[in-house]
Amino acid sequence: MAKRNVIRPIPAGLAYIADNINSGDNILGLHKANKSRWAEGIDFSNDTSTVFFAGCGYQYSAMLEPLVTALIQADRVSNNPDLPIKLGGISRKLGVDAAGLFSKAASRDGGGDSSVLRDAVKVLKAVGHDLGYLGEDEPCCGAPLYHMGLQNEFAANAVKAYERLKSAGVRKIIGIVPSCTHALSSLFPKAAPGFDIVVRHFIEAVAENMGNARFKYPDPVKVAYHDPCQLGRYMGLIEQPRAVLRAVENVELVEPEWTAGEWSTCCGGGGGFEVVFPDMSRTLAVNRVAELAETGADIIVTQCPGCLMQLKAGLKDLKNDAIEVVDLATLLARSLP
Amino acid sequence: MTISKEYRRELKEAHANDRIRLAVSRAVKSYRTNTNNALKKFPQTLKMAEEVRKIKEHSIQHMWELAGQAGQCIEENHGKAYMARTAGDALAIIEGLVGKGKLIVKAKSMTADEIDLREHLEKAGNEVFETDLGEFIIQKMGHRPMHILSPAIHVPREDVAKLFSEITGKELPPDIPQLVATARELLREKFFRADIGISGANVVAADTGTLFIIENEGNIRLTTGAPPVHIALVGMEKLVPALDEAFKVAQVTWRYANYTVPSYVNMVSGPSKTGDIEKVTTYGAHGPKELHVIFMDDGRTRLAANPILRQALYCLRCGGCLYECPVFGLTAGFFGDKYFAGIGAIWAKEVTGNLEKASSMAYTCLTCGRCRVRCPMKIDVPEMILALRKSIAEPE
Repeated sequence: MAKRNVIRPIPAGLAYIADNINSGDNILGLHKANKSRWAEGIDFSNDTSTVFFAGCGYQYSAMLEPLVTALIQADRVSNNPDLPIKLGGISRKLGVDAAGLFSKAASRDGGGDSSVLRDAVKVLKAVGHDLGYLGEDEPCCGAPLYHMGLQNEFAANAVKAYERLKSAGVRKIIGIVPSCTHALSSLFPKAAPGFDIVVRHFIEAVAENMGNARFKYPDPVKVAYHDPCQLGRYMGLIEQPRAVLRAVENVELVEPEWTAGEWSTCCGGGGGFEVVFPDMSRTLAVNRVAELAETGADIIVTQCPGCLMQLKAGLKDLKNDAIEVVDLATLLARSLP
Repeated sequence: MTISKEYRRELKEAHANDRIRLAVSRAVKSYRTNTNNALKKFPQTLKMAEEVRKIKEHSIQHMWELAGQAGQCIEENHGKAYMARTAGDALAIIEGLVGKGKLIVKAKSMTADEIDLREHLEKAGNEVFETDLGEFIIQKMGHRPMHILSPAIHVPREDVAKLFSEITGKELPPDIPQLVATARELLREKFFRADIGISGANVVAADTGTLFIIENEGNIRLTTGAPPVHIALVGMEKLVPALDEAFKVAQVTWRYANYTVPSYVNMVSGPSKTGDIEKVTTYGAHGPKELHVIFMDDGRTRLAANPILRQALYCLRCGGCLYECPVFGLTAGFFGDKYFAGIGAIWAKEVTGNLEKASSMAYTCLTCGRCRVRCPMKIDVPEMILALRKSIAEPE
């Protein structure tokens, strides 16, 4: 069973996340009451047989950014990114006001990428999907546990999470975070006996209903699409986002020469890399942005909170302010009337 | 504490070294172009790769049996075959054959690196010359190999010129043809003076005992042809049942190693012989008089028993995955042990037994999976890494 704050033989940054999932049901261990704030004012269906699964990443990116920045500093200065984590109370150590940051991140347009969730729901509704949302009752998928090697803990969490989903009457899930969606669709069936919920990603749900709405980006733009590893290579969702982008008026899809689709280069955040080797992770982000920038794109589009954070940071390091990095959900929301 | 301090320091230094990044990014560009061209010209390679995967899956389950069969053929051909259960066994056999005070020319071999063969032979009082150009460069620089096929992938031409100038005592410009000519000059007489030539093998056919050794420089022809004794060290995962299967393995290997066709494929089944005088077979004509082949297990049987990690044994050592690994692009072989990058972590844990390295490397892999897209055997490195991480994070 899941244990709290045990010493684990894995890198400290990953162990920190594991403890948070087990104790707080989210990657940063934050208080649950705030969890569904991003959704305030959205008119979700009371029927929760089909639910939107928001996950952690988009909601908490405003907090992850200073965390990763601090780790990079520690990595560069001391060759020890574990240091700030080991000293305990990372928020205190970093001078970060967790509660304040969280409410900022959770409020509408309050920084971070929680607005992506609102955009995604807007788009799903526009193409005709009727959705419920579990809010504070949405369980954490625990995917990071699996990827850091704590697969027994992941399975224990999956069993509990499935219980909660089942008791809410969930039959279908539309996920937005790639790693949550991959975990729910591919890892849960092996970890949680009897798991029979149909799990699809946002882009599949949009692609099949694209004709139900007219998408027109406000201005003509060149868009380069960055494939998140878990969405592209793990789940094979390579054609769908491209088909969706091609169906948006005023969008011209451009691709790097060698590194698109299944050959896409990782943003540098794969497998928890950014908390284990933060400095190298940033260099990989810069390299990836440089590949995408070579296409002459005005906008780099992706659909993963981790990639989004990495690519934005890479662009900043490149001092390139001619290109904008946005989530595909946001680009689509902007393209609606 | 899974990332060792020393490893972290090495990676940090490599990361700060722009020359590595430059050298590798150039290599990636030409690798992708060359391999694309090779696969375009020989599109049947893709299907052949699927066949080879099946051949490997079968062979890995029968390594000792195939080694026994190959060994018997080699003995029938008047060579000698040996079975080595461990690295120590292999070293003892080879040291017994070599003795001391010998001049040895050596072809590049990952399997020899796996057991630090050169270092052992040098310590025993022999002089060993690496004859692969890249390997020669790093031997002289005192570095360790940085890539499966291009061990000096991290060394730009200017550094080679400086090194060769020191060796020859002549001022050499950073002109690649001139540097290659210098290596030829330096090594030429060694091949003919050498007592022993040592090589590995890319694939071995059990039904004939034939070793396939793929190369371009011609150093392996000389290494395995000129000295009176040829010793070959072969990892047991290199065995396949039949000669035509070995051909397929060889072809897929060189295509994904970025060649439409290599300059040479050496096929060795026994010592040199002639029957030209009265049809009396006599051993030791122009080639070696003795051939010794050591088939080494060194953890491979244990690895083959693991349903996920056994994929590491399907590896053809084409090196293609390394060009697709974003981390390798920053660090070259410092993200490595005896073998490199994600798949290298599996070898570190299961074969060389370097647990500290294995766990450090397990958490250096992005698990992004682009290596799998490149791999002709479709080895699922992320799946293996996640299994390795589980064994570290939740030991049984």
